Amino acid sequence: MTTATPHRIVVVGNGIAGLTASDSLRTAGFDGELTIIGDEYHPPYSRPALSKAALLDDGEMTSHHLPAPTHEASEILGVSASSLDTDNKVVGLADGSEVPYDALVIASGSRARRLGSGDAGEAERELTLRTLDDALVLRQRIATQPSVVVLGGGALGMEIASGCLDAGCAVTLVSSDPPLVRQLGSHLSEYFLAAARRRGLTIATSPAREVHHREAHSRVVLADGSSLEAELVISAVGDLPNTEWLQSSGLLLGAALRVDSRGRVAPDIVAAGDVAAFPTARGIRRVPLWTSAIEQSKVAALTLVRGNDAPELSFQPYFWTEQFGLSLKASGYLPLAGDPEVLEGDLREDKALLRWSHDDGTGTAVAINYRIPIPKLRRLSSALAAAVSPAA
Amino acid sequence: MKIILDRPRCEGHGLCEEAAPRLMHLDDEGELILDIEDITENDLDSAKASVRVCPVAALRLE
Repeated sequence: MTTATPHRIVVVGNGIAGLTASDSLRTAGFDGELTIIGDEYHPPYSRPALSKAALLDDGEMTSHHLPAPTHEASEILGVSASSLDTDNKVVGLADGSEVPYDALVIASGSRARRLGSGDAGEAERELTLRTLDDALVLRQRIATQPSVVVLGGGALGMEIASGCLDAGCAVTLVSSDPPLVRQLGSHLSEYFLAAARRRGLTIATSPAREVHHREAHSRVVLADGSSLEAELVISAVGDLPNTEWLQSSGLLLGAALRVDSRGRVAPDIVAAGDVAAFPTARGIRRVPLWTSAIEQSKVAALTLVRGNDAPELSFQPYFWTEQFGLSLKASGYLPLAGDPEVLEGDLREDKALLRWSHDDGTGTAVAINYRIPIPKLRRLSSALAAAVSPAA
Repeated sequence: MKIILDRPRCEGHGLCEEAAPRLMHLDDEGELILDIEDITENDLDSAKASVRVCPVAALRLE
């Protein structure tokens, strides 16, 4: 394992994972040379905010702003990492330059999966919402209240649909599964779908087969032969980890970058955030969510400084969404099977604290339009059912 | 240093309380209460962690 604290640490990625790793390295006492490589020019921002409050900010968009970093790293922004040579310990950049490291943090994140070919012209017309630039484009495009088709019924697709409706657009969401069923389970899927329909969302349940972009209108052909016309088509069909630059590094298993419970990929290399597949109670997987990125990054950074003395990741899933006038916060694993125990409130009044029990003895606590501190929500999710019933 | 809450931004996630339980907590109504606003050296790391974990940047250190 690491025998001495490295002198020069390079962090690839300037999202919340790279930022948190850099902060945590300093907090852990690393005072050597720190370099951050980021492919966006923007300072770090809150990605979850982009599909929520930021879509609706009046005037200047500010909901995504984060406090300025304090890690005093040298930043190389606007250029992506293109290769990694682990023998010589060098990160190659897209502009041809090379950055040597003693230890490396891989936090290169993920990108929006696209339905189209990804050719420059097509990518321009297939809107997604992943980056700040995507959000700025989307805000501008929905300002004239175009008709919108959203492809994808996950949390992001539903948040975008909600934001577009609030902006005054007519919105159809295409999702072969009931929206949110894969993320939240059928109970909450039905609940959110009812709220979405009340607000005017149209749902198409046949999967999209082709998208034809034209000058003013795009046409989405569905598997059942019908088609939808809209001025704007936005896809929200998942994300892909940014691992291409690691292809010849020898670190990948297929396209996956797997880490151990301390974020380690190799003795002097850790990975964290959306790019990393890590051990969870439900198997090795990527969990591309805000708190997941932060928790992983803290552990990974400590591991570079302290090796096996760093604590292992104790991952506790936390997920939230805001859409169609509803705010959901969930602590514990998702999706949720069956019906919940109602701890407080009532879903029919759109305010409730719910708990699902899992076979392994753990649970998931869900707050809908119900303000509750996360530590309390976590206690409700982990406690035995008997201990939280009836009123916690 | 002082920790500052921008209350209208706060969505009550309470991730800050988890990062710095000595400095702040959400009350029964889910409103964030700053128990310690003037941050000393001892609390600086947890204060920074609480500011960083907020997904809506409702906290800052000045």
